[in-house]
Amino acid sequence: MKCLSSIIAALLLAVIGAPATAQTSKPAEVDLGIFTFTSGPGAAYGVPGRNAADVVIGQINASGGIGGVPVKPIYVDEGQGTNAVVAEFRKLASDSNNQAMIAALSSANCLALAPVAEQLQMPTFMWNCDTHQLFLKDKYKYVYRTNSSTVPEFVADALYLLAVKPNVKTVAIIDPDYAFGRDAGLIFKQTLKALKPDIEVVAELYPKLGSPSFNTEISRLVAAKPDVIFSNFWGADLENFARQAAPRELFTSSQVILALGESVLQSVGNLLPDGVIIGVIGDGWWKSSTAQANPQTKAFIEDYRKRFNEYPVFPSFKMANTIYAVKAVYDKALATNKGRWPTRDELVAAAKGIKVDTLTGTLALREDNDGLVDQIVGVTEKSSSYPFPIMGNMVRYPANLVTPPVGTDPIAWISKLTPTMLANAPKPGSYK
Amino acid sequence: MFANYVPVIVDGLVDAALIFFVAVGLTLVFSVARVLNVAHGSFYALGAYLSVVIGMWLTGHGWIVASLAALLLSPILIAVALGPLIERTLLRWTYGRPEALQILVTFGLFLVLEDMQKLIFGVEPYSQDTAVQLFGVSHISGIVYPNYQLLLIVLAIMVGIGLRLMLRQTRIGKLIAAVVADQEMAQTIGIDVSRIFVLAFTLGVLLAALGGALASPMIGVAPGLGAEAIVLAFAVAAIGGLGQIEGAALAAILVGLTRASAIYWAPEFQPVVPYLVMVAVLLVRPYGLFGSVGLRRI
Repeated sequence: MKCLSSIIAALLLAVIGAPATAQTSKPAEVDLGIFTFTSGPGAAYGVPGRNAADVVIGQINASGGIGGVPVKPIYVDEGQGTNAVVAEFRKLASDSNNQAMIAALSSANCLALAPVAEQLQMPTFMWNCDTHQLFLKDKYKYVYRTNSSTVPEFVADALYLLAVKPNVKTVAIIDPDYAFGRDAGLIFKQTLKALKPDIEVVAELYPKLGSPSFNTEISRLVAAKPDVIFSNFWGADLENFARQAAPRELFTSSQVILALGESVLQSVGNLLPDGVIIGVIGDGWWKSSTAQANPQTKAFIEDYRKRFNEYPVFPSFKMANTIYAVKAVYDKALATNKGRWPTRDELVAAAKGIKVDTLTGTLALREDNDGLVDQIVGVTEKSSSYPFPIMGNMVRYPANLVTPPVGTDPIAWISKLTPTMLANAPKPGSYK
Repeated sequence: MFANYVPVIVDGLVDAALIFFVAVGLTLVFSVARVLNVAHGSFYALGAYLSVVIGMWLTGHGWIVASLAALLLSPILIAVALGPLIERTLLRWTYGRPEALQILVTFGLFLVLEDMQKLIFGVEPYSQDTAVQLFGVSHISGIVYPNYQLLLIVLAIMVGIGLRLMLRQTRIGKLIAAVVADQEMAQTIGIDVSRIFVLAFTLGVLLAALGGALASPMIGVAPGLGAEAIVLAFAVAAIGGLGQIEGAALAAILVGLTRASAIYWAPEFQPVVPYLVMVAVLLVRPYGLFGSVGLRRI
């Protein structure tokens, strides 16, 4: 009887007590939870990310998977709202084959998921979490950002603007009304204030994320007659804004900066005139010399174009580079373990300080888990080879130049920038 | 000095025109059937979706000017297909029942129609701005406006006047007015009240779908459009007084102008301005600008 009780107790322990992290034998497949928008206004940005994941995972599986195990993506639509996204994350974290998560696109979802990932001890690689607030107050062990943050992204735009328009006097801002938009407005303003204190902000508009119409806001911007209009709209908001602003000559009446503009070049086409400053919030420009010099990148671009009848945009590269980073983390952990399948804790340990050659440059994960990625900025330029504008007069700002050092408050760091930074930065046109 | 206000007035009137189409349909259905239809915004969204899809198909086949027909064709298709069907099968069942039940039923219908949109049109956003390009632009107070936007103001005025004339001057309009005034008496003197309900509801659907279709060249069409439209339409209908066409028109102008003013001078308040106006009006006139206790008129 005592023996039977012991067996039952052992069985119960085995069933109840075994945590999802106990997977150490090689699994039949590597499940990978991937969070992105596949519905609603965010889908215009999120679907290229998902498409890239399909292509990259196909290529990884074709060459033997991760450590000889095929990768199986499990996509979660962020369009269903933050509460549902968190619930899906918890569900996927209980899958012992799912040792790493790629989440998320929206800054709001990232901020909600980071503490959950920490609580569940789930290695999570934030593929598109740009908000600098992610690591501002809380330190995480299980959360890494595999791309840059809002600070280098929008400091780069300000540097570019002041390089091409040194005499700019007035600026207007139109961003979406949530963390990403408000952060961008603050960072852009603070950078300009530090580098050229006499610039005046004449209008600041933060319409609701997902607004179908920006027509009144466009009138307001034109009426303000600013030298420069800055926007970090993305997804359908960006496409709507560009389509609604172009016939109203907004792009010719002021110097417009579309910080995420490259993502709509193909969909909006030649509605955008030459000279609009556009960014890729990172280094994911498919026609950059770095991308074109890499055979693996060229194969990715070609596969992507064949499957989806368009070229990959920078969200595609953010996703692709993150998946390759996760693979590199697995490879490093497997090598450290001499082939034994890693636990979740061994995976996060392997991620610390890793430097990965990506499809478009390099990604370094710092000691504070934040990513270091170069920033490419350029202007729209009509092309005789494509039915849409491409990027010209480009510059590639090194990540270290535009990213606050570890342990510094990002906004305080920006306020201490001096015009010397501008003088030392690479010049527009220096990157092909 | 006045020139500075002209863009605010133009933007406000464009906004008002689009709100009016949805709100006036909502108020018309309420005045006849006494049902506050939460699903009304879905007809706006369906009008926008169908118009964009037909317009894209026509443009894709080279019939660029003909794509304008989609703006009028799609609301008619939606009204004919959904108006009688929904009124006969679902809405009729709610007549005379408690308002809470009516709201729950129409909210259920709203959810069904929202999912139907996703099934039929998918979840990715659409845009089709051929009409904006075809009509060219005008310069008003130094700001470029698409002529199509200005045309919308004219169309809204025409629809408002047309609706009023239809209700006052035509036989069918007089029958609707009779049913609104006293349904039992109308039935006693031989008016087919059931038919009037179908007609009024279908007309409401047509107006909402027309609003969506006419808005579609200027907006991005994506899931969630219907919810946004109905919330604003409710506010406008409440401000104007439920069941009041002139009230809906005046309230739409009020909301349009205050929203535009907020974007120009106090952008932080833009999302709440329609509801602040609603609260202010209802505090002074609890039945809305044109509403009154116990009086049913149209």
